[in-house]
Amino acid sequence: MLVLGIETSTPQASVAIGSEQGVIASAMVSRGASYNEFLLPAIRFCLDEAGLDYRNLGGVAVSLGPGLFTGMRVGVATAKALAQALSVPICGMPSLDLVAYEVRYSSKTICVALDARRGEVFTAFYRPSPGGIQRMSPYGIEKPEQLAIGLGSRIEDVLLVGNGALLYREEFEDLGSVVELGTMSHAFPHADALVELTVPRMFREDFDSLYDLKPMYLRHSAKRIEWERIRGSRSA
Amino acid sequence: MPRTLWTTPEAVVLERRIGDWDEDVLVLAIETSCDETSAAVVKGGREILSNVIVSQVDLHGEYGGIVPEIASRAHVEALTPAIGEALRGSDLTFWDIDAIAATLGPGLIGSLLVGVAEAKSIAAVLQVPFVGVNHLEGHLYSNLLDDHNAEFPAVALIISGGHTMLVHVKGHGNYEVMGGTIDDAAGEAFDKVARFLGLDYPGGPEIDRLSLLGDPTAIGFPRALMFEGDFDVSYSGLKTAVINYVRRAEARGEIVSIEDIAASFQQAVVDVQVAKTIAATKAAGVHRVFLCGGVAANSGLRQGLAEACQKDGFSLHVPPMELCTDNAAMIGACGTAMLRRGKTSGLNASPDPNLPLV
Repeated sequence: MLVLGIETSTPQASVAIGSEQGVIASAMVSRGASYNEFLLPAIRFCLDEAGLDYRNLGGVAVSLGPGLFTGMRVGVATAKALAQALSVPICGMPSLDLVAYEVRYSSKTICVALDARRGEVFTAFYRPSPGGIQRMSPYGIEKPEQLAIGLGSRIEDVLLVGNGALLYREEFEDLGSVVELGTMSHAFPHADALVELTVPRMFREDFDSLYDLKPMYLRHSAKRIEWERIRGSRSA
Repeated sequence: MPRTLWTTPEAVVLERRIGDWDEDVLVLAIETSCDETSAAVVKGGREILSNVIVSQVDLHGEYGGIVPEIASRAHVEALTPAIGEALRGSDLTFWDIDAIAATLGPGLIGSLLVGVAEAKSIAAVLQVPFVGVNHLEGHLYSNLLDDHNAEFPAVALIISGGHTMLVHVKGHGNYEVMGGTIDDAAGEAFDKVARFLGLDYPGGPEIDRLSLLGDPTAIGFPRALMFEGDFDVSYSGLKTAVINYVRRAEARGEIVSIEDIAASFQQAVVDVQVAKTIAATKAAGVHRVFLCGGVAANSGLRQGLAEACQKDGFSLHVPPMELCTDNAAMIGACGTAMLRRGKTSGLNASPDPNLPLV
């Protein structure tokens, strides 16, 4: 089964096409916020290079974030419209899972920290398990100094990956050898990992509902946060 | 999920009068420029096969205005079902569709992006043209959809929460902006005055309702630019005049009539807007007036313009309410006309929040 994967929740956007035999075409670009201009030409490129057409696709996979709001929306909207027009199933995957999956060969606990802007990071903890990873915490959003405190209280060794980890690396440097920092090549979620993780789900028919699928924001709109703050201080 | 979903599945079959248009071209249209998610199927540029509109008014009500981030999120959730409903309502499948049209701007960038991304994706799969449509140009076509006496040329008053402008519509794709607001849009002034008076959101319909109970001559609010000789309007000063009137009355301990304020405010808007529209129509040398945009629902404006047009022998066209507010059917009609002129967009097209009409 051929699956198209779309990942646009960070400044590094990617698309990939693959099956149970692995990824056969992919395209990636790190140029910030022009996801909308990148996606369809990139998918066309992958299809052409692989000698395929849209009608060969058996499923669409999309990264749900957390990540940058505009990127997630363009990715999810594009994936939903492709799945709807093709009448094929759709599967959504959290961006943090994708980053952890790519470092699954480590024996350490994996902590993913993606840049959430406004001085915060999206985080989740994983442990490697046979054939993949297992998540051990909820998806969260916190300040890097809070994450550092949490990491400092851990007894086991931790592999800390993600662009958020690199952006706030000075927060984690005092933690010594307990925390190993991942490099730039493992800093972003990628569509290849998305395709690899989604193909088994497609075979199990563990699909998401096309009409209900939406990005994982983990953060309210700024207006709502402000609103609740005002309301909270009035009622207090 | 956003509420109030309604659809017009039954086709409004109109007589075709423009000869060389491809009779049966089927366009799937998407409109997500502000706070309505809409999808429609339009046949031959004038026949609505379906027009699904999902309003987000409940989501923004508690904030007293549209919150762009909330609007964008709601579009992602509502658009896919709306497209499904539009196809079901027209008894078609994706593979019957000849082209996809979507609003490219002006509007909220986050909202526009959702519609453009989905429209381009569907066009890519179906291998049909994608047409990026100007939202304001779409409003001009709302008049052609329901009324077979409506034709270009005309002078159109586009009046809504985001826009107020007078356009000389000379022909398809041939427009001249004659004038517009130099500050607030008319609908924006209605909403701001309503919020100041403590009325429910959205405030425009509330003011209209209250004004029927009040005396429109009770308070002499200013008619800015009314006698300036051009076609521009200004509503910022009027809004301030209402606020000052209420504050002064409060300071004197007088009791004010909200109905009289609403009626007098609305009358000031109607007087200016009708005078400018009639003057523009005369200057353009046409005999047809189109009224479009959300504020076209205002009963005072409809009545005032109808009386003035009758006096001067102009024919006035006001589309039904579901075509006055933002809707995808008008985008489909405009998209069809653009398709016929060969005006299609590429799959790397991006929305433009400030896209000008001309």
